[in-house]
Amino acid sequence: MAKHDTPLLDELENGPWPSFVTDMKRQAETHPECWDILGQLELSFKDRITHWKHGGIVGVFGYGGGIVGRYSDKPEKFPGVEHFHTVRIAQPSGLYYSTKNLRALMDLWDKYGSGMTNMHGSTGDMILLGTRTENLEPLFWDLTHDLEQDLGGSGSNLRTPSCCLGESRCEWSCYDAQDVCYHLTMHYQDEIHRPAFPYKFKFKFSGCPNDCVASIARSDFALIGTWKDDIQMDQAAVKEYIAGNYPANGGAHAGRDWGPFDIKKEVLDLCPTNCMWMEGDELKIDNSECTRCMHCINVMPRALKPGKEKGATVCIGAKAPILDGAQFATMVIPFIEVSKDNEYENLIDVIEQVWDWWMEVGKNRERVGETMQRIGLPTFLKVMEVDAMPQHVKEPRSNPYVFWKEEEVEGGWERDVEEFRKKHAA
Amino acid sequence: MAMSVEEVEAAIIEKATKSPKPQLYIKDFYKCDADRKPREIKKIANALVTKGELMFWSSGSTTMYARPDRIQNEEG
Repeated sequence: MAKHDTPLLDELENGPWPSFVTDMKRQAETHPECWDILGQLELSFKDRITHWKHGGIVGVFGYGGGIVGRYSDKPEKFPGVEHFHTVRIAQPSGLYYSTKNLRALMDLWDKYGSGMTNMHGSTGDMILLGTRTENLEPLFWDLTHDLEQDLGGSGSNLRTPSCCLGESRCEWSCYDAQDVCYHLTMHYQDEIHRPAFPYKFKFKFSGCPNDCVASIARSDFALIGTWKDDIQMDQAAVKEYIAGNYPANGGAHAGRDWGPFDIKKEVLDLCPTNCMWMEGDELKIDNSECTRCMHCINVMPRALKPGKEKGATVCIGAKAPILDGAQFATMVIPFIEVSKDNEYENLIDVIEQVWDWWMEVGKNRERVGETMQRIGLPTFLKVMEVDAMPQHVKEPRSNPYVFWKEEEVEGGWERDVEEFRKKHAA
Repeated sequence: MAMSVEEVEAAIIEKATKSPKPQLYIKDFYKCDADRKPREIKKIANALVTKGELMFWSSGSTTMYARPDRIQNEEG
């Protein structure tokens, strides 16, 4: 029986859509504290203000992340949510679970928490919503000892790295995204579990430019698979697509009749750099103009494949709105080799170059992309020891002034002007 | 001459004890030894948490450091 009247929330159960209110009422049958969430939320709707308080000294011993403290500011009215902490659990690479593991996790959460989850949070962790402070250590013990799983990152820590399926299922993957993700997760355990930075820092790894984990939009350090040489082409398969013998897009969107496949309309005319054309029945690509948009490969996967000389592009500084608006990552290194043979040493060097600079000059609560914007890309490229190149230029310069550095001027700032004027009249 | 780890630890504890606000960002400790890289200061501060001299305090989105007695007094 309902513990609180929730007429406003009940409105959210109308209509054909699934409702979290219905889910929470069902959950309240076995976890009565869920009634208090509904009661508190109803009060927030009426008061038009949140009744949650965030933060505090919540955590597990030795860790400075993985638990986000949450308390009710009306504990006398809603005792079930007096404490309602969030637990972040590191997700497996590529989000591969066994049903046995999922059941074990849910049993654990039924035992120590509200049973409510958010699968997954935007960083990728499994988010378990609602437990009390005294349950945290026993939960952590069972999680690490029985399930051999760990907490993820939160606060100013390195957040739980995430990756796409990579080579496990995708032939387009240009590097082993899961292996890089796992390796760096283990390498940076201290940074994941304890605060390290001015603010959060996220790694995301996508095996190809389709960027299935949206790393370019969501991560401070995005590693996106790419290739250096030409797109691999099978002209016989191109003909099969044109003849309609192979389904375009691997048969996706096949629920409706799109008419016969038209390579000009569906591929050539949609190439963002117009670098494809037909010569008779042969497909031609000017690979020097290709920007790796993946559209042609996605449409004709049996005819086109990424090149053979594979690696990745490093993009830095994406984020959701915090201080400034949302921003995409900036391409910093167009091609980097990604090899397990050197245990990703070259990637680690790049990451730590970014960190050393950002920790020094970044303001508190400033994402690295915001620091880059504040200080300027030319300085950031110098820090990264990367020469500026056309691909770094977002738009033609609008500032008419050129700021020379002393070392770029013959004689520096100390030269004798009178001596100079003897040769160069004013 | 470079400060020893013990001297940096003492400077961090003093800073955390005397700061007007009990909660400090990691950046607030950088000046405790300007010759060390920020990552080294971070490691020393985190080791002080393990020793019980400091504790983590989370605002929900940012993690800060505090002296346990100061923060516990504040939170009651």
